[in-house]
Amino acid sequence: MSIVDETLPARRKSPTRPRRRERRYASPGAHAVAVLLLLGTLLPFAWMVLSSFKTPQELNGVDKSLFPSGLYLGNYEKIADTNFFTYFANSVIVAAATTTIALLLAILAGYGFARFTFIGNRGMLLIVVAAQMFPAVMLAIPLFITVKTLGLLDSLVGLILVYVSFALPFCIWLMRNYFMAVPVETEEAAFIDGCSRFRALWQVVLPPALPGVMAAAVFTIIQVWEEFLYANTFIDTDAKRTLSVGLNSLIGEFTTDWGRLLAAGVLVMIPVLAIFGYLQRYVTQIAGGGVKG
Amino acid sequence: MATITTERPRTTPEQAAHARKQRVRRQRLAPILYIGPAFLAIALIIGYPVFNAIGTSFLNASLLAPGQDTFAGLDNFTALFGDPTFWLVMGRTLTWAGAALIVQVGLGLVIANTLNKRLFARGAVRTTLIVPWVVPTVLVALIWRFLLDPVSGPINGLLRDTGLWENPPVWLADTRFVLPVLVLISAWKWTPFTAVILLAGMQQIPPEQHEAAMMDGANAWQRFRNVTVPGIRTSLALVTLTTISGAINNFNGIWLFTRGGPVGATEILTTMAYRTAFIEFDFGRAAAISVIIFVMMMAVAVVYFYVVEGRKGDKR
Repeated sequence: MSIVDETLPARRKSPTRPRRRERRYASPGAHAVAVLLLLGTLLPFAWMVLSSFKTPQELNGVDKSLFPSGLYLGNYEKIADTNFFTYFANSVIVAAATTTIALLLAILAGYGFARFTFIGNRGMLLIVVAAQMFPAVMLAIPLFITVKTLGLLDSLVGLILVYVSFALPFCIWLMRNYFMAVPVETEEAAFIDGCSRFRALWQVVLPPALPGVMAAAVFTIIQVWEEFLYANTFIDTDAKRTLSVGLNSLIGEFTTDWGRLLAAGVLVMIPVLAIFGYLQRYVTQIAGGGVKG
Repeated sequence: MATITTERPRTTPEQAAHARKQRVRRQRLAPILYIGPAFLAIALIIGYPVFNAIGTSFLNASLLAPGQDTFAGLDNFTALFGDPTFWLVMGRTLTWAGAALIVQVGLGLVIANTLNKRLFARGAVRTTLIVPWVVPTVLVALIWRFLLDPVSGPINGLLRDTGLWENPPVWLADTRFVLPVLVLISAWKWTPFTAVILLAGMQQIPPEQHEAAMMDGANAWQRFRNVTVPGIRTSLALVTLTTISGAINNFNGIWLFTRGGPVGATEILTTMAYRTAFIEFDFGRAAAISVIIFVMMMAVAVVYFYVVEGRKGDKR
């Protein structure tokens, strides 16, 4: 369970390994498999994008064709009749607030765990795994009551509070691993220069651990965009729905109006891809380095 | 950390002692200041509800009659255990998890092994293959419900046009096909995650091992079987844990497609618990179902730690 060195951003090459190997591509067979996998991944998305520009006749199989006849934007115009953009804005608000708060708390706690260790690696991992594994449905009932008691039912604040708590265990663990990789000597040098521990955390320890912050942010954003169960249970007012719940209710409402739904789907995909494209190397770090025990 | 104080030249012993005492006091308080806020949030939103849920499973509790909960002992559990539907759903949950494990780990190995080779534009290929994982399930549901739509969907259209299947089924409304189809769609979304973990494991294997095997005349399959798979045992164990627990806990992957239907054909424990709580308003029984899920998860986790612990000291 040597997590620390694996999560380190810059992987040092071992001196015994020659830096440049012979550049030879894998067999055509391997490339054929890769092409198949790519098609399996991309075709569903491509079909959605193409179909979102089709007219109702083309979509319902009256005028069947692979490609839309023209750039028909009627489906996109029809989105304006729905609350879609409200859902969208709600999700952005919840995601931004959750990520900010969760990261602040996780940086503090991660540093605490890294520097005043009382729980070992294994104990920590156990807690994180356990917290990740609690059935969401199990907590739905008591959380519903808790959120109700706090007067935060049907409010985005309640959702943010819940999401922050659920993102925390993993974010803390991730931050802790990155902080452990920062040598203690750097902050001791800062202490001697009269820097308080708190300032040293933000000015000396945090910068080298920034990739961990990014990875934790990506993890939190993905979770918030994915979450449906609590958002569906705690929110009643249509105008307060998040994207997951809102889009699901649109699917129920416009079952046969695929054009409108697909156009909405394309709009959901764009920000996800934008964030993912920008931060994708941290995404692999979550799965490859972070989860890895 | 105490070494710093002793190396300061111009302090009297009393001053040094005082400073040390102050530092010790601050150090005792510091962990609470740093860890406290996060701890409070987790305790309030995860810790307390866990115990509350366990408690509720022993009550007659209904959303319709708040504050009128009565103690029910093990009634909720015995009622469940005596209900054949519960056992049907339990069996389906295990099937669902087992199928997810086979499909996702099998496909994940293929993807990871492919990405571990010197592919043309490997970085771009890897990035693209991860996309389904970062997309929310509701979008996955939208896309696949459209693709499988009996009228507008291209899949049935293709089957009809090519004459492969004159009368293709309505996949998500047909009790024979709906569960396997949902397994495959879930795999489409979650396999990339599996593959990334497995790939990370594969990249830890020193290339020299593959080269040595190649020198000994091992073919690609033999190298995969005898170098790669033993080399990624830890990753495989982790992937097994995440896949099984993810599948048992999966709610969106079913609810957003079929809500457990048609006629209960895709009902698993999570959707059953949700339906019992928020549609039938029987909180006590729903809590009992979720406690059973919880026990199953803990069993999976215990097995995982036992297996990993059993190999402690081994290097991956």
